[in-house]
Amino acid sequence: MAKTFDQYFEDLRGTRVWRSIFRSGAGSSTLHRALAIQQNVFLHLFSTKVRTRMLSFSGTWYLGTLTLGTFLILVATGIPLMLYYHPSAPQAYADTKDLQFVVSSGLFLRNLHRWSAHAMVFLVFAHMFKVFYRGAYRTPREFNWVIGVVLLLMTLLLSYTGYLLPWDQLAYWAITVGSNIASAVPVMGDKIHFLLLGGHAVNANALLRFYVLHCMILPLTAMFFVAIHFWRIRKDGGLYSHASEPATLRANASAVATTAKEAQ
Amino acid sequence: MKEKLKSLWQKLFGDSVRAFGVVSLVFLVSLAIAPAKNYFSEWRHYQHGYLKMIRNRSDAVTLQRHFQGGIQQIWLPDLGVVDRCTSCHVGLKEASLADVNVQPFRPHPVIPHKLDQFGCTVCHRGQGAATTVAEAHNSTLAWEQPILPAKYIESSCGECHRGPLPGVPQLNQGRHLLSRYGCVRCHTVKLPDATTMKPTDDPPSLEHIADKTTREWIYAWLKDPQAYASTATMPNFKLSDDDVRDISAFLIANSTPLPGDTATLTAKAPTDPTAGASLYGESFCASCHAVQNAAGNLVGGDLGPELTRIGSKVRPEWLQAWLRNPRDYDPETAMPHYRFNDPQVATFTGFLLAKTDSDLLANVHLEAATPEQIAHGKRLVSDYGCASCHEIGGIKKPENFAPELSRIGSKPITQLVFLPGMQHTLPDYVAAKIKQPRWFGQALKMPQYSFTPAQIDSLATALLALNDRAATLPPSLTVAAKLESDYQPAGKAGKLMTDLACFSCHRINGHGGDMAPDLTWEGSSVQREWLVEFLKNPNTLRPALVRRMPRFNLTDTEANELTDYIMTVYQNPAIDRDSMPLSGYPQGQVELGKQLFYGKYACQGCHIVDTKTDKGYIGPTLTNVGSRLTAAWIFEWMKNPQALRPGTAEPNRAMSDEDARALTAFLISQKGGGKSEVAKK
Repeated sequence: MAKTFDQYFEDLRGTRVWRSIFRSGAGSSTLHRALAIQQNVFLHLFSTKVRTRMLSFSGTWYLGTLTLGTFLILVATGIPLMLYYHPSAPQAYADTKDLQFVVSSGLFLRNLHRWSAHAMVFLVFAHMFKVFYRGAYRTPREFNWVIGVVLLLMTLLLSYTGYLLPWDQLAYWAITVGSNIASAVPVMGDKIHFLLLGGHAVNANALLRFYVLHCMILPLTAMFFVAIHFWRIRKDGGLYSHASEPATLRANASAVATTAKEAQ
Repeated sequence: MKEKLKSLWQKLFGDSVRAFGVVSLVFLVSLAIAPAKNYFSEWRHYQHGYLKMIRNRSDAVTLQRHFQGGIQQIWLPDLGVVDRCTSCHVGLKEASLADVNVQPFRPHPVIPHKLDQFGCTVCHRGQGAATTVAEAHNSTLAWEQPILPAKYIESSCGECHRGPLPGVPQLNQGRHLLSRYGCVRCHTVKLPDATTMKPTDDPPSLEHIADKTTREWIYAWLKDPQAYASTATMPNFKLSDDDVRDISAFLIANSTPLPGDTATLTAKAPTDPTAGASLYGESFCASCHAVQNAAGNLVGGDLGPELTRIGSKVRPEWLQAWLRNPRDYDPETAMPHYRFNDPQVATFTGFLLAKTDSDLLANVHLEAATPEQIAHGKRLVSDYGCASCHEIGGIKKPENFAPELSRIGSKPITQLVFLPGMQHTLPDYVAAKIKQPRWFGQALKMPQYSFTPAQIDSLATALLALNDRAATLPPSLTVAAKLESDYQPAGKAGKLMTDLACFSCHRINGHGGDMAPDLTWEGSSVQREWLVEFLKNPNTLRPALVRRMPRFNLTDTEANELTDYIMTVYQNPAIDRDSMPLSGYPQGQVELGKQLFYGKYACQGCHIVDTKTDKGYIGPTLTNVGSRLTAAWIFEWMKNPQALRPGTAEPNRAMSDEDARALTAFLISQKGGGKSEVAKK
């Protein structure tokens, strides 16, 4: 009798190589499953257990995961784009033209990066509203809400810095306007403006600065905060579920007690 | 319906495995679109088309060998050019495809430049980096400069070639018109070589206008300058009757009199009615001034103003003063001081004043001007920038009166306001603006010129050459214009030459006109006696040419002074005038020269030595060349005429010294019949 796919997988999990990588063991007991999550460098940020209810679409609309998905697409498309791009004036514009006209699927790569960026901004806002209207920001999740706000800022900054890189008229003027808004900050506005652009006007220095911010500093910072964001979900008692929140439980408990008292 | 949708949803996304499968499939298909689009690209389509086209040709093997697949590009870092046009225009360099008429496969017409050295967009513009038809040729969101229409293509030559260039008449004419019509008096045009374009028109000073003409004439002229003279370079400002009345009032009131202009002449005009016309002909007035003949055609040059209706314009006293010495009224005038005697002046005055047009001033009736009208006229003169061209007492020449045009060829389309129904391209905008400036707003000050469509195209061509590329081109790639020098002859002879306006026609040391021969080396070229005689009584040297230098009625002293100066100063450093004798060559050498003249070099094809047998009429007549030119000059001229006068029609025959010496001996023996030749005109 032929083995099923599951049986092959079970055999694979039994091999020495597999065991040397995933040390949680081959069993499928609750402990084994919990260990599989806990001992994985990527997954250990998450709760070892999630309520099935929370994995349904209606619970979260998957907005956080979708945001992460767009972020991963942006990283995956951004790296090959970096291979074709020089952050120097006026070569930058010529490079975007080359991506459009001569690099195989270059336009697809660029458009994917661009649309994913737009989608990410949209999803981040949607995520925020969903969290807000469900009240998922309340104790004990206040700090994760703050991290979320930082991540919103990261997303917007990533979008803004990426906007200059094509080095066309739209980019130039958008950044000129944007950086002038920054200079409206009281007292130190002009300093911020100068720091941001590496000069008093949008020029080659600004392009280089925005490139480094866009491809190095901001993505790394964002990843750092994303890690904290996910880790805090575990620390704050898993994804928000109204029925199992302490406050609800307390309220339910007192309601039960009251009913019992009345029954007496 | 609802049921159906529900069951479809169940089928596709019913459980997680189905949903995962469907989503993966959609994702895979969408991913496949990118490489597919890449594969079915336009340039690949055209390259397939090209290969299919050449397959059945007799030259298929050669063409096949030349063909290179894939994206092609011409990369010129110096020029900032990355041109991928040759990815689709595959057969540009294949001369054997001359019979092909389908684009993009036509071969490029023969041009003086190599495609590999200049690329495509340097001349044709458009987006060289693009590999699709629409992006490469048209103006798109991310590219403003579309392909340049073929009729303006010469403008691209002007990006590098800063001076006049053979083979591009439209560009040359456009540049000429910018100066000739005084466009550059209001619009500053800074050229890439850091000079500023200079006007070549000669708008008269209006400081003493009341001496010269009447207020009625000014009124008619301002209403429509071309009604007075069809060749007038003054544009039509489309002024209202009231404005014209006030401007004419101001100009007359503002004019100051010159003493010489009011003197009356005692001499009477001659009774012979043809005397005026023949004096006009003898003085070669028509070299510069045009007059409309009975058939309506203009006869004459365009250096001076048209004289068809001069009698309706000028006051007789002023005309006489002007003819006596034009420099009294306008020290800068291009007109020579002819030194006419009083009877001649009277003859001319009578002849010219008869050239009237009764219609011109028939409907002009002006009442005496009020101070308000004069003040209003002054304001209008300032508003319309009249002083940009004319000197007007009390009005300062305005600076930057009109927008600068130094980079007009790169003006972004987003900064232009187009008219409804107009093509949104820069060439169309420039052409429309020249054609009808007031289309773009009644309040605009730019006047209406009467250019022909061909002139408008050439002006647009010249303006489009003033672009960013021209301004930023590395100097090593430009072909500089020969700059006009500001050479001025010194001393008494210099004064005389200015008085005679020699430079209106002759060129010396890079300064002056091109109507008559360059005189830079005249002192090495001609013999003293001949020059004195010529100055006093000029004749034409070429049988086919009727026009000649006018007679200025010089005195012996003046002719001798001028000759001395020319003989001393205008010498070629490589030619010693006295190194070869003017006579005494051995008869054998003269005979040899004659044989060479008629045999080996066949000079009689263009020149005449023997009036009975020779028929050449292209070059100067040589019957008396022995008393005109120096032997040393003839010798050097034989050796290399282009070195002495660049651009001369005389071919360089690479003569040996022997031959040149023999021909010199032969030619110097041609002393002519003497006076009979000189007396002819």
